[in-house]
Amino acid sequence: MKTISITVNGKPAQASVEPRTNLADFVREHLHLTGTNIGCEHGVCGACTIEVDGGPARSCIAYAVACDGATVRTIEGFAADATMHALREAFSAEHALQCGYCTPGMLITARDIVLRLPDADDGRVREELAGNLCRCTGYVGIVRAIRRVLEQNKL
Amino acid sequence: MSNVAGKGVGARLRRKEDARFLHGQGEYVPNIAMVGMQNVAFVRSSVAHGRIKSITKPAGLEDLVFTIDDLIGVKPIVANSALPGFKASSQPVLAQGKVRFVGEMIAMCVATTRAEAEDIAALVEVDIEPLPAVTQMLMARNTEGPRVHEHWSDNVFLETKTEADLTDIKATAAIKVRRRIHTARQCMAPMEGRGVVATFERRLDQLLMYSSAQMPHINRAGLSECLGIDQGRIRVVSPDVGGGFGYKALLLAEEVCLAWLAMRLQKPVRWIEDRYEQLSAGANCREHDYDITGYADTNGRLLAVDCDATVDSGAYSLYPFSACLEAAQVGSILPGPYVMEKFRCVTASACTNKPPILPYRGVARTGVCFAIELLIDAIAREAKREPYEVRLTNLVPPEKMPFWNVTKKYFDSGDYPEAVRRAVTAIDLSKWRARQQQDEPDGRRIGVGFSVYCEQAAHGTSVYYGWGIPMVPGHEQCNARLSPDGVLEVRIGAHSHGQGLETTLAQVANSILGIDTENVRVIHGDTAVTPYSTGTWGSRCMVMSGGAVGVTCKEIEKRVRNIAAKLMEVAAVDLVLADGEVRVAGTDKKMTLKEVAHVWYRQPQLLPPDVDTGGLEATLGYKPLQDTGTFSYACHAVVVAVDTELGAVEILDYVIVEDGGTLINPMVVDGQIFGGTAQGIGTALYEEMPFDLQGQPLASTLADYMLPGATEVPPVRVLHMETPSPLTFFGQKGIGEGGAIAPPAAIANAVNDALAPLGVEMLESPITSRRLLAALAKAGTVAARA
Repeated sequence: MKTISITVNGKPAQASVEPRTNLADFVREHLHLTGTNIGCEHGVCGACTIEVDGGPARSCIAYAVACDGATVRTIEGFAADATMHALREAFSAEHALQCGYCTPGMLITARDIVLRLPDADDGRVREELAGNLCRCTGYVGIVRAIRRVLEQNKL
Repeated sequence: MSNVAGKGVGARLRRKEDARFLHGQGEYVPNIAMVGMQNVAFVRSSVAHGRIKSITKPAGLEDLVFTIDDLIGVKPIVANSALPGFKASSQPVLAQGKVRFVGEMIAMCVATTRAEAEDIAALVEVDIEPLPAVTQMLMARNTEGPRVHEHWSDNVFLETKTEADLTDIKATAAIKVRRRIHTARQCMAPMEGRGVVATFERRLDQLLMYSSAQMPHINRAGLSECLGIDQGRIRVVSPDVGGGFGYKALLLAEEVCLAWLAMRLQKPVRWIEDRYEQLSAGANCREHDYDITGYADTNGRLLAVDCDATVDSGAYSLYPFSACLEAAQVGSILPGPYVMEKFRCVTASACTNKPPILPYRGVARTGVCFAIELLIDAIAREAKREPYEVRLTNLVPPEKMPFWNVTKKYFDSGDYPEAVRRAVTAIDLSKWRARQQQDEPDGRRIGVGFSVYCEQAAHGTSVYYGWGIPMVPGHEQCNARLSPDGVLEVRIGAHSHGQGLETTLAQVANSILGIDTENVRVIHGDTAVTPYSTGTWGSRCMVMSGGAVGVTCKEIEKRVRNIAAKLMEVAAVDLVLADGEVRVAGTDKKMTLKEVAHVWYRQPQLLPPDVDTGGLEATLGYKPLQDTGTFSYACHAVVVAVDTELGAVEILDYVIVEDGGTLINPMVVDGQIFGGTAQGIGTALYEEMPFDLQGQPLASTLADYMLPGATEVPPVRVLHMETPSPLTFFGQKGIGEGGAIAPPAAIANAVNDALAPLGVEMLESPITSRRLLAALAKAGTVAARA
């Protein structure tokens, strides 16, 4: 067991974790932040994407002990975030979610796209989404929702 | 009928369920925690076929490891079929004596965390004497060689025969095309795997199980049969479910094991499937083989189809759909909407040392569509006609509706040729035909492909009782209650896991009661509070649950009218329900639904003497006027560019002309079509669950099992026709599966259109680079690369 200090959703936490515990299990099982869904546990599907030190990261292939000192935001940590608010609105309007399982990871990736690539077109948005799988929507609504927020931001 | 600001049937209403998912507050099984909860990991077989010589529990940890010998009294899972000749398998919930596929469970290990349970599982020693594995479904009929189930005469669950005398047609048909067509084994791969949390509630003397399940009432029935506990003492809750597609429409051996364990330990226990388990041990789907011959006249008019089809059903018959549903369906649905004189078909459900199969979105239709639509294109090439024209020649014309096809399927309505014509226009076929006359600057080859399918949905008793499987759908029920504060609670036994039923069923209620959808709560997924249902499968919910909500709300409406009429001293027929109010037509007299409810619950002294004693709560059952199913259909048209050097296929345009009858919520319908089509593109080009000759699965991660991503799925254009079904409550038809049916056929036809000048015809899905390059090399048409 190793003790780590980690800031999650603005709150500093100290925890004693096994070296093998991944960040996804840590936030879910230790902090009870179950909004982060686990899809593959080998870094392909993107369902577990959370924000680590300001950028999207796959929490299933990051060890919690490797995140000692890091600042982490999960889907529960964006209540006051204007971009996330706009994305949530757009996701609903464009029917960008069905079962909802990929949605938290998708939103965190989407927020990164919107903030980093203000001029992204459909093709670029699709490339940027390549690391987040959705089995329900065919990506149509997701791409439209992200583009909708990008366009709103240009006004 | 009335609308609150366009929230009723037909409205593009945003989904009520979105808010919780967008905030990470979905309640999926892995999110459920209980005090003292233990976690389970399974020891699974590493060989496909073998005799278990010994299982040794690790010293000192014996109490934490359980084998079939410990599960005294637990019965095996048996999913029989009444079809003549069906051989039922007996699936022990933990392996007994033998293992029959890689991933079959051998022992159950329990610990505080999953990681610790896996540590224990790694210490369990299993000695297995390997046996030759049966991995080739086409050899299943052999009576020599190894048997998956020793006491069987061969490795066939069931053979079916649809006979017809084709002698004359064979002798005279101008066109005869015979093809060998194959579709790969797949894994459905919903984003969330399966998962179970079980506990025993002493107070209620009942087993409580949370399971990621599409048909919780069926899971309860199956648990009851295996555990010998009355269904009344089992409560199954299927909370939020991260995608189903058929993968969660069964009784799991894991569910039975966890139920037993919770009662044994008197503690809550949890098992969450990981992706490795899903891909290497979870149920598969879709592996079909067709030896199919089409007979036609010089014009391409179909005379007969003759087919020998085999489906690899894997090692066991799963509960409730059985191992034979898929192959036997081929024998009845292969002709689809095409008119032909004769149809002959033999099918076999092969038993192999692979994980069992489940019906995946579209069930047998995706394979059937692939076979018949590739055949139609082959006939068109022989007849030297445009493939769409040959379809127009052969599709049932609208004036023949309703139509009994050659296998006695009842087509309720529709204009199939019109869907093809609209697709031809929308894809702009003539533009692409002109472009095909010129060389592409990048050297790729352009092809256009079409496919047509029909989707029998919400088929009921008359279809299913003949299968004789553990589940026969009857009347679908709804319980509705107008609560004291005017909120309508709607309870249904089916389950919504992405389909949006919490919204669309509220729209149904709105259309009848005029109640704001914000004041309708759709409750599902809990056997304790919902009416019995066979659950969510076969694109049935909007027809069956939608109809049930319809008739039940009609009953509530009648009772509301009766009470309100007496209170306002008018005739019930003069009342109009709209905007949450009961209004007296032509006056400004009115009461709110809440006020009516208030009288029933809080001021019964005001009720009329002849009031319905059922009050503002009713449970009614529903079936369509005829329960042979609704037939939705579509024509998919696709343009591809094929790179003959890389073997890559790019989709340049994709159009769907679809007829789902009356659309309850067009946004949700489009979402189902988009999502289904993405899965169909995966089937066409990427997804494959290969096994080696020893029965080892070769795609155990999502880096090997290729799911289509945002860069693989193109923007898809959907055009709707809306021919209302004469059989259903609003004229709606089931559409949940359709998107996944047609893409492999349309894409293969487009690829074959592109490669026809090179003499290459792809007859196997998925059309991967490897397969394409091999076919091109075989045809000797690719310039050697440096």
